[in-house]
Amino acid sequence: MKIEDVVCPFCGCLCDDLVVEVEGTRIVSVENGCTLANEKFMGDHRLKTPIRREGKGWKETTYDEAIRETAQILCDADRPLLYGWSGTHGEAQSIGIHLAEILGALVDNTSTVCHGPSILAIQEVGHPGCTLGQVKNRADVVVYWGTNPIDAHPRHMSRYTTFADGFFLKDAFRDRKLIVVDVRKSESANIADEFVRIQPGGDYAVLSALRAIVQGKRSIIPPSVAGVSREQLFRVADLFLSAKFGAIFFGLGLTMSRGKSKNIRNAIELTEELNRHTKFIISPMRGHWNVYGSNEVFTWITGYPYAVDFARGIAFYNPGETTSVDVLSRKECDACLVVASDPGAHFPKACAEHLARIPTVQIDPHVNATTHLSRIQIPVAVTGIDAEGTAYRMDGVPIRTRMLFKGNYPSDTAVLEQLYAIVKEIKGP
Amino acid sequence: MSEFLIRNAYVIDPLSGIKGEIMDIAIRNGRIVEEVGSNAEVIDADHCLTLPGGIDSHSHVCGTKVNFGRYMSPEDMRAGRTARKGVMHVTSGYSVPTTFGNSYRYSVMGYTTVLEGAMAPLEARHTHEEFTATPHQDMLANTLFDGNWSIMEAVREKDMKRAAAVVAWTLSAVKGFAIKLTNPGGTEAWGWGEDVHSIQDQVPHFGVTPAEIIQTMIRANELLNLPHSVHLHCNALGVPGNYRTTLDTIDLVPDLNDKRQSLYLTHLQFHSYGGSTWKDISSKSEDIARAVNNKPAVAIDMGQIMFGRTTTMTADGPMEFKLYMLHHNKWSNHDVELETGSGIIPVYYSRKSLVNCVMWAIGLELALLVKDPWRCMLSTDNPNGAPFVKYPEIIALLMSRHFRENEIALLDPRTAHYVPLPAIDRELDWYDIAVMTRAGQAKALGITGIGKGSLAPGAEADIAIYPLKPESLDPSAEYQQVMAGFGKTRYTIKRGRVVARDGDVVVEGANSTIWTRATVPPGYDLSVDPEFMKKFEQYYTVRMSNYPVQDVYLPRGICIPTEASL
Amino acid sequence: MRVILRTKPRKKPFIPIEAETIIPQNFLRKNDIRVYEGNKERRLEEIFYITAEGPAVSPDQVEIVLSGETGNIKRVGEYMNAGRIVVEGDIGMHCGNFMSAGEIIIKGNADAWLGREMRGGTIRCEGNAGHYCAAGYRGEKRGMRGGLVDVMGSAGDFTAEYLSGGEVRIHGDCGDLPGVEMRGGTLTIGGHCHRPCGNMTGGTCMVFGRVYDLLPTFRGAGNEEREYRGQRCQMMLYKGDTANRGKGSLLVKKNLNRTGTD
Repeated sequence: MKIEDVVCPFCGCLCDDLVVEVEGTRIVSVENGCTLANEKFMGDHRLKTPIRREGKGWKETTYDEAIRETAQILCDADRPLLYGWSGTHGEAQSIGIHLAEILGALVDNTSTVCHGPSILAIQEVGHPGCTLGQVKNRADVVVYWGTNPIDAHPRHMSRYTTFADGFFLKDAFRDRKLIVVDVRKSESANIADEFVRIQPGGDYAVLSALRAIVQGKRSIIPPSVAGVSREQLFRVADLFLSAKFGAIFFGLGLTMSRGKSKNIRNAIELTEELNRHTKFIISPMRGHWNVYGSNEVFTWITGYPYAVDFARGIAFYNPGETTSVDVLSRKECDACLVVASDPGAHFPKACAEHLARIPTVQIDPHVNATTHLSRIQIPVAVTGIDAEGTAYRMDGVPIRTRMLFKGNYPSDTAVLEQLYAIVKEIKGP
Repeated sequence: MSEFLIRNAYVIDPLSGIKGEIMDIAIRNGRIVEEVGSNAEVIDADHCLTLPGGIDSHSHVCGTKVNFGRYMSPEDMRAGRTARKGVMHVTSGYSVPTTFGNSYRYSVMGYTTVLEGAMAPLEARHTHEEFTATPHQDMLANTLFDGNWSIMEAVREKDMKRAAAVVAWTLSAVKGFAIKLTNPGGTEAWGWGEDVHSIQDQVPHFGVTPAEIIQTMIRANELLNLPHSVHLHCNALGVPGNYRTTLDTIDLVPDLNDKRQSLYLTHLQFHSYGGSTWKDISSKSEDIARAVNNKPAVAIDMGQIMFGRTTTMTADGPMEFKLYMLHHNKWSNHDVELETGSGIIPVYYSRKSLVNCVMWAIGLELALLVKDPWRCMLSTDNPNGAPFVKYPEIIALLMSRHFRENEIALLDPRTAHYVPLPAIDRELDWYDIAVMTRAGQAKALGITGIGKGSLAPGAEADIAIYPLKPESLDPSAEYQQVMAGFGKTRYTIKRGRVVARDGDVVVEGANSTIWTRATVPPGYDLSVDPEFMKKFEQYYTVRMSNYPVQDVYLPRGICIPTEASL
Repeated sequence: MRVILRTKPRKKPFIPIEAETIIPQNFLRKNDIRVYEGNKERRLEEIFYITAEGPAVSPDQVEIVLSGETGNIKRVGEYMNAGRIVVEGDIGMHCGNFMSAGEIIIKGNADAWLGREMRGGTIRCEGNAGHYCAAGYRGEKRGMRGGLVDVMGSAGDFTAEYLSGGEVRIHGDCGDLPGVEMRGGTLTIGGHCHRPCGNMTGGTCMVFGRVYDLLPTFRGAGNEEREYRGQRCQMMLYKGDTANRGKGSLLVKKNLNRTGTD
């Protein structure tokens, strides 16, 4: 059976035009997807049943037992952490947050290791943005800063920017100027009209310089700023100012380099400045397909997009203090539930070591690096393949992922609902 | 079968013509009935003011921009934190509380139905997700059409029926309730960083004017026989001298409906400014109120501002940017492809600011000068003018001239020169307030037919009992008590269940979402219209099949079906 | 009155204690003082050996002495408005948040957010301070508004972020972006630092060590003389940050910084 308009649960582009052929509980082909999508749909290394560590090996167990034991571990803890969430649907995220609330736990999503600094910057100065269709239909200048979409978001350019014809741009590739800013010449830089190469750690200075230029203070700019010549800075600023609609997309190259949130803040303030002259927007290139959804769900329930600490009953937020990496590196937590992410692969070594020391439970379809740190793993259906639910694209557009076939695994929602019910029972009214 | 009997209630039920009588109210299975058996649970209202559940006909509580207001404002979140308590979840936020925060605070004030003022169709799923997490109010979503390309094309072609077809398809696809126009044409212009400045300005590239959009949509709305009228946020919001635009807009309105207004003008305070700059801004509430009084086909809500900190959020992207240029705090903007825009900035309304003092006076003046309370709803355009928790204070200001005088004494002394408020004697009574906070809304929204806004047998048992005794309380003198009383019900009853008591929410909520579906003749069904489908796939970034909001997002949806007259 | 709080051994010493209740005014009457250890509420005596000596009739007569393993105790002195707190060793995050009067003395190091959004009073830290020393809160436009934070050692990144009033002195080095978003008040850095005063709109920052990576948007505006620790120093004056309104002053000691961007 061929299913059309399938939503891809891989990256923040959340492409929804895939055609997937299914036979029974097996996917046999994927059309329109990028290589990352194909891998996600076709790959299948799933655990068969829940497993728990016994001695040096693993033993199979039942869902009921694994969930009950998890509930007990979490209830016994004084500082439990519920981490992950970006790889599952909103309905499951919502239960996870209520679970944290009743446990007095820390709850955090993968923003903590990707666009957390962007969120901090937005909290300081706001976010002039738009949905991706605005860019597709209008943008005549597109900037990728500290990101290589060809690698990390393979269809971003063809669906939304460089190669996507829009209402006001009938021949997008020719009508749009492409500017790439990076510390090295990436594949995306090869097709750019203008490549700006910055010395590592120099983004903040370059952004400050551009702000001053846009304000007409050209005389202050030294001959070179972080390896970028004054002439090129002027040229780029003039390109910005002559745009009818400009769009800046930035990635971890800007977010996670020296200055972190202040780089993003500077980029946003540049965008604001440009709006006094023309139309400009800026947007983070979100990684996980539903990391933005986790920010949204966290926010409407707790008031904060990530890193929420319920220890004292109220929702407390202070990245740097309540973010998973910081909490784990200080060895604060005494239990951890990982849902739909792989901190074993993405966290610093000290954090992974602490996860291995404390009782860690993972709810995830696949065996991954975190499995090796865990005491229990509970396999679940994959959202977008054999489970469905809400996801938010990197620009905030909510799309319902589809269930392509009914498999044998429970969804994240089903497992978390059962866990929540048991915890509620243990905790009492 | 659950039965309740509320005894000795001091009832004001404007839709039933009850203007303050001591009576009993019987409830069975969530509805009001003539009588119940002797085993019914009894609540003694002890002569306290008993009204239909409050209805907010214009508030921003759920959806993309509201949540972004939270997301970007940890400083606001920390200003209103409560811990988990009984069945109540954790809440955060003062001006943009979390969904449960909104729901509990509304419930404690006796509100049982809330209309979200602006939902972008492309992001409707988000609004519905938050509706589900706002469990103590029935929710409705005004759906944005101000910059809708298909609508503007239909307007350009002077094809009113096509416009109606676009509305019918969209409302049914996104489970919306009514047509919302926010700065019509202006949000599209903002896609290029521009705006429209009067109702006769051309929208760039589309060759239509705001006036044409408004007129077409008013008529299209009636062709679809929708319960509510077009809900309009006029052009030129917040601009000194904008009262002319507002008067021009009121002039456009035909009288097409004998049950309700033909146009609902929202947060009119922001549209009643004289002068030409921020230095000489003045109140034009008298001109505006006169126009409203002379035009029975329009209804308005106040859009009152109250002093203090809040967050402004609207689909009116260009206006928010202008406001940002004044405040220089922080600014978010979110344009939505082919449809609309939005912007958010935090503001602080200060008694030291003459402009803010004039704005404060205008809202009250509108409520006092519009003669018919059925056509003037109490609102703050939550949270734009103030968070809705300020409603009790506004009620007290409207009921007490004495209170107003005390407040005016605290303002910038120049204020009196620019506003007529000090000379207005009128004090609203309990009945006026009952109309302006529920009955008027039910009528204006067209939801009396599904049992909203009244306490007559057959109505939904949504009831608020306030610790106020109108028989012995003089609101003019005892305004502090009025304020406290409207802030915290003794009982809030939703669909026959006590949901809040004396300031605490006591049960888990189970709200409904109310939406409309207009059935159109086959030739007007856009879901199979080749031209519409082709454009959709070309210019949107989601597939048409992934656009409609699935039924699963409305676990207790109430659909109001209509037959279109096309 | 002198209250001595000495930490008891704990089973899980890495779990921080949330102790905003440890402020002089709370010890006037023998209240039931509680703190949090993770998600568990504890009585103060579960965490500390407590001894109290002498009388007090007002909070300014109360001195609290903290000793033992105090490096993981957070929020000590939050909203303090009188009296004195002496920490014999290290102190955890958020010490002296929102403090409006009184004195805190830390003999060891202070963790991050020392004196966040402080309004008045004095904090003296004899060791080093962490990141965001004397800074603001996320999303709030004004950080520290008054008082003095005096750090004998070094401080981390984002020192005095959003400083709006009062005085911050770091006698050692600062990390990256001290005085970022600064809009008022005075920041003195005795040692070296990177990229001071990014996006500043007001206030004065003086650096008596080296400045690395001075931002390109600071405009030279002549020389001035300033005194630091009894020595008169020749300073170069910069106005900035011109990426913003450019109304702040950054003074950098000469000789060490011949070009300003070494």
